Amino acid sequence: MADFIQLSINGLALGSVYALAAIGFVIVYSATGVVNFASGQFVMLGTFAGVAMLINGGLPWPVGYVGALAAMALFGALFFLVVYLPLRSSPVVTIIIGTVAVGIALQNAAQLTFGSWPFRLQSPFEGMTIEIAGAVITVHAVAVVVGTGILIGLLWLLLHRTTIGIGMRAVAQDVKAARLMGLRVNGLLAFSWVLAALLAGIAGLMLGPMWFADVNMGDPIALKAFAATIIGGFGSLPGAIAGGLFVGLTEVLGASYLSSAYKDLIAFGAMIAFLLVRPQGIFGERIQDRG
Amino acid sequence: MLTCNDLTVAYGDIVALHGVNITVKAGETVALIGANGAGKTTLLQTISGLNKVKSGDIVFESSSLATIPSERRVRLGIAHAPEGRRIFPGLTVEENLSLATAPWRRWSQSIADDLGRVFDLFPRLKERRRQLGWSLSGGEQQMLAIGRALMARPRILLLDEPSLGLAPRLAEEVYERVKLIGEAGMTILVVEQNTVLALAVANRGYVLETGRVVLEGAAKDLKQNSRVREAYLGR
Ligand SMILES: Nc1ncnc2c1ncn2[C@@H]1O[C@H](COP(=O)(O)OP(=O)(O)OP(=O)(O)O)[C@@H](O)[C@H]1O
Ligand SMILES: [Mg+2]
Repeated sequence: MADFIQLSINGLALGSVYALAAIGFVIVYSATGVVNFASGQFVMLGTFAGVAMLINGGLPWPVGYVGALAAMALFGALFFLVVYLPLRSSPVVTIIIGTVAVGIALQNAAQLTFGSWPFRLQSPFEGMTIEIAGAVITVHAVAVVVGTGILIGLLWLLLHRTTIGIGMRAVAQDVKAARLMGLRVNGLLAFSWVLAALLAGIAGLMLGPMWFADVNMGDPIALKAFAATIIGGFGSLPGAIAGGLFVGLTEVLGASYLSSAYKDLIAFGAMIAFLLVRPQGIFGERIQDRG
Repeated sequence: MLTCNDLTVAYGDIVALHGVNITVKAGETVALIGANGAGKTTLLQTISGLNKVKSGDIVFESSSLATIPSERRVRLGIAHAPEGRRIFPGLTVEENLSLATAPWRRWSQSIADDLGRVFDLFPRLKERRRQLGWSLSGGEQQMLAIGRALMARPRILLLDEPSLGLAPRLAEEVYERVKLIGEAGMTILVVEQNTVLALAVANRGYVLETGRVVLEGAAKDLKQNSRVREAYLGR
């Protein structure tokens, strides 16, 4: 039982990271229609922004985290300006291929900069544990789960209670009508990319202390985030959250109770089953929402 | 207030408007009538900046709109209730309305007065303020589309076939509101296939056929015109 509790919390923590990556993916997809194949590399970049600030820069963690996230926000804005904007009037497939190319470039750039030797990014709560019903749990895992919950709450407020958020949803539903209403469509699209990069950055900082910071970590994350969105429902934010948590939980529980060789079996099996039986996922994309 | 000078607009090789001249004076309601594919929607979209002008010019309050992007045109006072309403389906009625205030609103400014005015005009929207756009009936969606355009505090209101797809009684109800809005001093350019309704609220009208203005005049004269009666009023 103690084992199970410990594994579940660790699974939820990993799942929170996948959920954040998946949310960033969904925000960009619903605003722009672009399937961002670089989204795993966005998370990798977040982890290595942390490595640069905390390990290479030796900054204390509050400053380092803020610096890393500022760098990620800047990266999101650059991605919008340099990749999305020049390609926006070409077919969506072109932009998607663009994201693949940028993803590969990012991975290679990280390899050149940081080398292929993995780093160990420390948590602000390094070494701290708490005990729940006999289970020893790292404070980092708890902080990740709680932090993700708070972030999701803030994101909900942003999307439903602020002019920018309502505008983002409007642009996602009908760009032409949004333009007729005088919304600054380009600004809102840029903001979607910045937000996605920020969420990926936070996911990367959270993930750093759980895994080793490795320049090749982007691909497995992208696969898991992708599986999460398919299981949860492509384009759905609640789906990204539920799917992310599901993938994280089954990965950690599967590794321990089945075998680490098969730890991804449940998540990808579930993804394939959903594709076959219920391609709209748990939450299904409500067609009405997209117009 | 608004003038189209010799306006030509094309989609690739298909020329949709051939040298159209139209004027709307402050305070007037002008109807633009024409059959399917005459180019009515094209004209309104060009005024709003969604279509490129091939030649000619659009002048709004004595300055040319040529270089002005669509979102700035809304800020200048051109609001558009588009064909097919284009309500944001996943936003509530209130969100649909509030977002149209982006052109003038500073972040702390209240929209209560503007909302109140729209709800006075369309009480049914008030009852449904928390409902999502897609769940409204066609008539309610049209009222929301007009209300949303009014929230932008426009100087001119462009309406694209407000009667489209509505039962006759509902279409009449919508036009009663359009009439009220016009009587309150709003300048309106309304595009319609339903000639009876449009000419009933308009001061003046234009008839558009395959991208050309073929007739223009006071609404009451157009109603009597034999060509209009034959082609558009069916008698
Ligand atoms: N996006 C487009 N691409 C190519 N051709 C178009 C496009 N939109 C309209 N057209 C063409 O331009 C012409 C005018 O169309 P428009 O939609 O302006 O007519 P309309 O008067 O609004 O018709 P309706 O009463 O059916 O709404 C038509 O021949 C139409 O086929
Ligand atoms: Mg039309």
